[in-house]
Amino acid sequence: MTKGSVNRRDFLRLTGTTALTAWPAAALAGVLPQAAKPSGVAPLLKVAIVPCPDYGPESLAAALRAGWRSTHAPDIRGKRVVIKPNMVDVSPERPIHTEPRLIEALALHVGDLGAREIILAEGTSHNRDAEDLFRRAGYEALAKRRGLRLIDLNYDDLIPTRCVNPKATLLREMKLPRTICEADILVSVPKMKTHKLAGITLSLKNMFGVLPGMVYGWPKNTLHWNGIPLSICEINGTVKTHFSVVDGVVGMEGHGPIMGTARKVGVLIMGDNALAVDATSARVMGVDPARVDYLAMAHKVRIGSLRRDDIGIAGEAIDRVRVDFALDPEFAQIRASRANAR
Amino acid sequence: MSPRLSLAVDFIKSHQNPDGGWGYEPGRASLVEPSAFGLLALGATGDGEGAGRGLGFLKACQRESGAVGFGLKDPEGGWMAYAALLAFHSLKAQPEERRLKDWILGFEDASGRFTKEDVEAISSRFRYDASIPGWSWTPRTTAWVEPTALFIFALVRTGVPATEKRIRSGVELILDRRVPAGGWNFGNPYSKSFELEAGVMSTALALTALGAAAVPERRPSVGAGLGYLKKSLDGDISTASLAWVSLAFMSFPSTAALATDVKARLARLQREDGSFRGNIYETGLAFLILSGAAVLFPTPGGRR
Repeated sequence: MTKGSVNRRDFLRLTGTTALTAWPAAALAGVLPQAAKPSGVAPLLKVAIVPCPDYGPESLAAALRAGWRSTHAPDIRGKRVVIKPNMVDVSPERPIHTEPRLIEALALHVGDLGAREIILAEGTSHNRDAEDLFRRAGYEALAKRRGLRLIDLNYDDLIPTRCVNPKATLLREMKLPRTICEADILVSVPKMKTHKLAGITLSLKNMFGVLPGMVYGWPKNTLHWNGIPLSICEINGTVKTHFSVVDGVVGMEGHGPIMGTARKVGVLIMGDNALAVDATSARVMGVDPARVDYLAMAHKVRIGSLRRDDIGIAGEAIDRVRVDFALDPEFAQIRASRANAR
Repeated sequence: MSPRLSLAVDFIKSHQNPDGGWGYEPGRASLVEPSAFGLLALGATGDGEGAGRGLGFLKACQRESGAVGFGLKDPEGGWMAYAALLAFHSLKAQPEERRLKDWILGFEDASGRFTKEDVEAISSRFRYDASIPGWSWTPRTTAWVEPTALFIFALVRTGVPATEKRIRSGVELILDRRVPAGGWNFGNPYSKSFELEAGVMSTALALTALGAAAVPERRPSVGAGLGYLKKSLDGDISTASLAWVSLAFMSFPSTAALATDVKARLARLQREDGSFRGNIYETGLAFLILSGAAVLFPTPGGRR
């Protein structure tokens, strides 16, 4: 993309002299955790780090069950569940998109929990040929196999939706896909990756894909002009992700989100607050979430919390599974020290 | 018209919305691109009533400025205007066509907003020249290969000379954004030191536009792009991409014969219900290509 340096300047301006204030709690799409808790009380946010050594169906099913049990997972019974993977592009050589075997295991899992309908939906960012990408990613075949509806969010019906940020400009009235607006449960399933313009990309950044290309262009260009951190926060403040599952079995390091290299971590990281999940995933990647512009901004506007003390970790300890991802040199400053990745 | 092709028209006709337009899929709200291709298909078969109702929808989407966007509720206009232009021209809606052409030719991308430093930063990171004006998906944002190609194609097919300044600049942009190995992607040939890969749809659209603008095949970028598309034929290609590949091949003498095979391959994708993938835009586009409709080709039969 073309506006990285400008976005960064915009971000600094926004968070500097004209400090961004928290958005109105009543307007946030139900994403707000408690900003403060009495001391001595257990953290209110819960994130599970579950070992998952491979993409075998048994490993995935066991990991999803364990993660679901140990977090504040949503009640799925009778609900329409929309699964939003990350598929910015597809390559046979590089793990760009969320592994379809994970999506399949997740669909089976939420089906077992009583979901009324399961939809697999994505609005691709770089290449707008969704028929081609859905096929090459393996999503078309899995949708057929498991009876899922497969939706190209770039061309869905549009529902105008007021942005949570009262000072929003380009996204003041978002045109959201009907599929997303009518979801009872939205599950974001990103790949754990580095990103050449954002540092890292996880659950919050994955939501770029819900804004339709036919309105916002490709590669979701209007969002870049709006500023990447601000767009991520405005989208996630307006659209509630009910649960996030980060595909960290094999992630991508280096020049992500499409030209990086595979990096095995062997975990799934999940929880109901996308920012807490992202912050935890960042720590697992050897990144200090407070140094990632959009995560810091999301914390500031109260989309959730990235503070370690606010997040109860179930499953593996961060330090036991931490794998330092190679970072783009432009983002060297987001690396967490080994001693304390707060 | 073959019975198979008339099934495509039946499919389009049976899914026209009460407002005269079409959504990408049956039952969806009307939008400009599928409506334009729906009415072009009906118009090509002499269904004046259906095409006229479609035209009514498109006219309602036009703003006072002449702009046309994605639908009735787009105040600003955007990339789908290319399809509306083809439709206005084909149905001889001359005042609307004239206003829309003026708007398209005055369309501002971001090239004028970039500072010298921005242009240099983009050049070092993505290795293209951001100062070249082209067309973006939405006004005042970055110009990319596909919207630039779509607008060039529509302008030339509706009578704007390829020598027009904006078209020449758009051609320059497309040539500047080529992927070194051959072909085009959405518009970034590089990301820092990494050469990015080409894609079939972007390449087919770029070549179709270059062909319409009479860029000769001997230009290395054109030859390399056609080579990329020929190699791509060995693999799976989506319906819309296949349609644009056939147009790209028809645009150049050395690949015109290959277009026949591609069209045959496209025809085999037609479903029992007459549609192509159940999608109105793709069904309209495939119908127009397979029937050699004049709106997409400079002469009947599709040969240059």
